[in-house]
Amino acid sequence: MTQQQEQWGTKLGVILAVAGSAVGLGNFLRFPGQAAANGGGAFLIPYFAALLLLGIPIGWAEWAMGRYGGKKGLHSAPGIMGLIGKGSGARYLGVIGVLIPLGVSFYYVFIEAWTFGYFLKYLTGGIGVDTAAPIADQAAAASSFYTTFTGSEQDGVLFTGDSKLTILSWIIVFALNIFFVFRGLSKGIEKFCSYAMPAMAVLAVIVLIRVLTLGTPDPTLPDQNVVNGLGYMWNPDYSRLGNFQTWLAAAGQIFFSLSVGFGVIINYSSYMKRNDDVALSGLTASATNELFEVGFGGMITLTAAFVFLGVSGTTAAVATGSFGLGFSTLPVVFAHMGGAGNLIGAAWFFMLFLAAITSSLSMYQPAVALVKESLGWNHGKATGSIALLGTVGAILTLWFTQGGAFWSTVDFWVGTFLIFVMAGVQIIYFSWVFGIDRGWKEIHAGASIRIPPVFKFIMKYVAPTYLIVVFVGFCIQNLGASITAAWASTGSRVAIIVIVATLLLLLMVVRAGEARWKREGIDLNDTQPAD
Amino acid sequence: MTAGGWVTMILSLTFVWGGVIWCFRKVLQSPQDEKAPPGYGP
Repeated sequence: MTQQQEQWGTKLGVILAVAGSAVGLGNFLRFPGQAAANGGGAFLIPYFAALLLLGIPIGWAEWAMGRYGGKKGLHSAPGIMGLIGKGSGARYLGVIGVLIPLGVSFYYVFIEAWTFGYFLKYLTGGIGVDTAAPIADQAAAASSFYTTFTGSEQDGVLFTGDSKLTILSWIIVFALNIFFVFRGLSKGIEKFCSYAMPAMAVLAVIVLIRVLTLGTPDPTLPDQNVVNGLGYMWNPDYSRLGNFQTWLAAAGQIFFSLSVGFGVIINYSSYMKRNDDVALSGLTASATNELFEVGFGGMITLTAAFVFLGVSGTTAAVATGSFGLGFSTLPVVFAHMGGAGNLIGAAWFFMLFLAAITSSLSMYQPAVALVKESLGWNHGKATGSIALLGTVGAILTLWFTQGGAFWSTVDFWVGTFLIFVMAGVQIIYFSWVFGIDRGWKEIHAGASIRIPPVFKFIMKYVAPTYLIVVFVGFCIQNLGASITAAWASTGSRVAIIVIVATLLLLLMVVRAGEARWKREGIDLNDTQPAD
Repeated sequence: MTAGGWVTMILSLTFVWGGVIWCFRKVLQSPQDEKAPPGYGP
């Protein structure tokens, strides 16, 4: 490569950046709902099984593949997968590893703007939930604010001038993302994450302490206390372990939470030095994600909802999904916290904002890397082109808001379905084409820990099988309805067109890159191993 | 909260807190790299 190589500044920096990418809204909003709906404490058995058999092993493979690509001067998923898979087939499949983060960024920054907008509202007095009103009216007020703020009533409503805060929040958040990506890996993303991750942990501890000290806020309802709130989340229902749906939900949660198969880890680790540790780094990033998910998400969200809303209210909140829980239910809870409610609400939404921005920052870098190394553009020009593409995607997201059809379609096909595909492609190419013996050696080059040898077997046989079973189960459960939904509205149809157009554009960039790499004499099919 | 709830919660929290503390101790004990030399980055 003729361009000067970017690198991480410190080992801790790359760990925090990858952990920042993994820790997102799902840790605080999706995990507790999934656990409560699938056996409570019993859910943690299939959850930790999936962590050990699926999440961590595939993560290690991705870390090792990325660093291997970096040794050869390649940083994009297509370039790296071409090396690992030794040919054009793997290289073009690697496009999925750029499409996923870029496609998800189109709508993720919009959702990130909600967290920022809510944070601003809580700094300036809250969202107007009147605790003197009946609880149903309070929930309706919070829900109405959410619907208006997110523009989910109809397409184009955010551009009518009545949703200035939503648009302003999006502009600020998008500009911050582009600013840090433009600053580069070490000075931008790494530096931001090195402050944001500890800040997020401090905010999580503050909110957790407040929730755990709520006691029994209403003496007339003695059952609605913190201990019973924890019980709502943690009391195990072991009968659910016999249900395939529980295992599917657990594997899905681990999968999406750790960001394996997302295309970010493979890109981030390609900027490591050739003998930097990947074994301990991968494990530490996963452990950090688990702390935020189980240690904070599992303790805060439903406990807070339970002490004010009771069993029926919390169950209804869980049924509304992650966003309903986070943006409609918790505002009612904060309103009941008295004078400190707005401060706790501000801390909560700023924590969610940090969780979201450390994730969204990672979504642009894979595409920036692809454009730089395929077209030979400098960092500024590559970032500018991706920012332009991101703006087009975001404007479509902001316009087609009705029922969230646009972004939920992109979320399903790009942010869910393709992640399974990409993770499968990665672990199969790594274990079976690159070779597990060579891969094992690659993981341990410069490693600070020795991974138990049983993981070699897990990576070659268990993880791919586990993944295929979960993927088939996922398809049986979701594919039919999702194909129908993809054509059900203008927003969803536009989303499909956007996904296909972005895919074609990225394939053209890879094709240009392939020609360029050949001209430059790069060993793009790994005929001369670098290990 | 049932006894089973307490047990799963405490075991899970011990696992995630123990895991993160063990990992970060190992990371901080391992030799840290020097900063990237001037000229790296955009």
